[in-house]
Amino acid sequence: MNKAKKKLLIGALVIVAAVSYLVYAGIQETSVYYLTVTQSSQMLASNKEFRMEGNVVPGSIKQAPDSLGAEFVITDSAKQAPIKYHGTIPDMFKDNIKVVVQGKYDKNGVFVAHTLLTSCPSKYEASKQNNKI
Amino acid sequence: MNELGEISLSLSLVVVVYSAFASFFGGAKNNEAMIRSGQNAFFSAFALYSIAGIALMYALMTRDFSVEYVYNYSNRDLNKFYTFSAFWAGQKGSLLLWAWMLGLFGSIAILQNRHKNSKIIPYAVGFISITMTLFSVLMVHASPVFQKLPELPADGHGLNPMLQNPGMIFHPPTLYVGFVAFTIPFAFAMAALLRRQEGEMWIVSTRRWTIFAWFFLTMGNLLGANWAYVELGWGGYWAWDPVENASFMPWLVGTAYLHSVMVQERKGMLKIWNVSLVTITFCLTIFGTFITRSGLISSVHSFGETTVGYYFLAFLIMVIIFSVWLIYSRRELLRSDNNFDSIISRESSFLFNNLALLGAAFAVLWGTSFPMISEMVRGVKITVGPPFFNKVMPPIALALLILTGICPLIAWRKATFSNFKRNFMAPFLTALVSSVAMIAAGLRDLTAWLFFTVSVFVLATIAIEFWRGVKMRLTDGNENPLSAAFNLVNRNRRRYGGFIIHVGAVCMFIGFTGNMFNDQKELAVKVGESFTVKDYKLTYVGAEYNKPKSTKDQFIATVLVEKDGNKLGYMRPEKNIFSNYDMPNSEVSIVSTLKEDLYLVFLALDGENTATFKAHINPLVKWLWIGGMVMGIGTLIAMLPDRREKKFMQSLMENKKA
Repeated sequence: MNKAKKKLLIGALVIVAAVSYLVYAGIQETSVYYLTVTQSSQMLASNKEFRMEGNVVPGSIKQAPDSLGAEFVITDSAKQAPIKYHGTIPDMFKDNIKVVVQGKYDKNGVFVAHTLLTSCPSKYEASKQNNKI
Repeated sequence: MNELGEISLSLSLVVVVYSAFASFFGGAKNNEAMIRSGQNAFFSAFALYSIAGIALMYALMTRDFSVEYVYNYSNRDLNKFYTFSAFWAGQKGSLLLWAWMLGLFGSIAILQNRHKNSKIIPYAVGFISITMTLFSVLMVHASPVFQKLPELPADGHGLNPMLQNPGMIFHPPTLYVGFVAFTIPFAFAMAALLRRQEGEMWIVSTRRWTIFAWFFLTMGNLLGANWAYVELGWGGYWAWDPVENASFMPWLVGTAYLHSVMVQERKGMLKIWNVSLVTITFCLTIFGTFITRSGLISSVHSFGETTVGYYFLAFLIMVIIFSVWLIYSRRELLRSDNNFDSIISRESSFLFNNLALLGAAFAVLWGTSFPMISEMVRGVKITVGPPFFNKVMPPIALALLILTGICPLIAWRKATFSNFKRNFMAPFLTALVSSVAMIAAGLRDLTAWLFFTVSVFVLATIAIEFWRGVKMRLTDGNENPLSAAFNLVNRNRRRYGGFIIHVGAVCMFIGFTGNMFNDQKELAVKVGESFTVKDYKLTYVGAEYNKPKSTKDQFIATVLVEKDGNKLGYMRPEKNIFSNYDMPNSEVSIVSTLKEDLYLVFLALDGENTATFKAHINPLVKWLWIGGMVMGIGTLIAMLPDRREKKFMQSLMENKKA
């Protein structure tokens, strides 16, 4: 191996190491747990942020008067969790759809969310329910 | 018609399997008749896909709701334009479009290459046919395109209102063209290896396909970003969603490949590297399809969980095993003709650029599949979102931006100090002066400052290079500056097309950097009330209600925009409710300038007098779209035939004969 090749290899290794470090540090700093409602009970007293997935319980949505937030309940069909969300309500948000919220539980066991994501299976593929006429 | 389509697809399966078999067998035995027959089978497969495509289009246009697909994605209200686009609104139509494109591109590649590349074309056809087999199997078994409904419904379910936007008509097919066209260079690479053909013939023969694929991948991603920006109403254009990442990863590796082939063409180096890059790019297109269709990774673009994803996974595993084996067993063939002479040279800067691009692709891949991996390894799902990508990507992007300036100008083999001074001194000083000016003008963000400074550096290197070329032509002949500039680009389309692409890339980086200064505000206001966001004053004038269609309720808010006491005009964001979709859909209103966008969303109407709005200030967004257009123009120039390239091709052919 000539000298230039050695230097090149070192340069390449530096880049690889730098990218690996960036990815490692990025995961360490920004990753959050993604839990179901049932699993989330372990986080009740932790004061740690995480993501939680569940279906909106029909009739539970109470919109804030200024439309910038809502209180509602989500469930994974085993357990329920009350959510208090502040922010823009996505267009697709409604009863019975699957949502993902990010935030943490407060002292009263209410999940305070700052992010509300809706993922609706009927977005590109018509949902099964709609196929029945 | 539907039966005809169905039969065509069933036949296509038989025909592509035969085409693969005849091509490989004929190629191995040098049996001309067999090779021909394989190619003819390939053409007929394309014809069969075309018939199936026409049949589906006919069903859509005649509103034949007995076909499940037509029922799901259209209704009587839908205009012709969107009915046409409903062809690829869902999975089944997308698969058909994909197969059809692969048939079209493959047929063109056969016609282009069957004489000049007669050695490797049979195997290339074989590999493309195998890929087509996957699609035929899917369309016949896993996801039948012409599936019927048990009873005839009176009207269709309709096209999702979010897909009823011009951007959404062009975005998916554009992206598909990019994905599909990468199959051609991959098939030629594999064919050359299998045939033990030495040299760069496969790269040169598919160079235009690579640029073509890259062009469409670039444009597809940008159209998607633009659609998200104007249609989804969350104020941004890129959310690092798995589906976006799925099309971004092949773009990154494809970009690396586009660069590193130049080293192989020039110096006969990086051969294993290039075969690997084209393989990875192809695998990533399949991987992207797999993660978006399998439902394994949750995404806002859910396509519904179907088994289709697993076919792609199985195919992907086959491709990986086969190509790794092939590259390994042909490693002698892929020996480098030259050695690296110095770390400060064009060759090594290309290699570093490749590593940075690959590093970026790896980071995106890791971030995208992390939830899946953590669930498999540790049993808990851990997810990363935009914060991860926003942390990891900027440093890599900055390194890439610096290399964009250095790579095209640094000397081959070994750069001397005088070469360095000649090419980079003036740009360096320009960047230095402007970086001081930026601080003086009040820029305090370190990341933004770095990106803007390097952008100036890159633009200066390109400007000086252009100026030198033009000056040379001016002193040489009796041209005016304009024709000199035109001829300069025209005489060496590949090189100067590349520079124009880089200018576009810099503009886009400037647009991305603008994100650091985003500002937003959301609040409820009464009629006549005003609020300010940055230096804009917005006054809510009122709302009106329309019913343009039986299934559409439309609410339009009127907002007066003022800046520094001057009236800029009225913005009219909408909130629409589609009764057949049971969800509201916001139409945002955007006032766009080179400096910034004012982006207004009408969130809700609360009673008679109150409305809730969200206003975003997104600086420099327009530069992203401008950069995209410049990049597109540069790519088209680089795609045009080039005299030097013809010569190069000829020399390659003559070497073969000698």
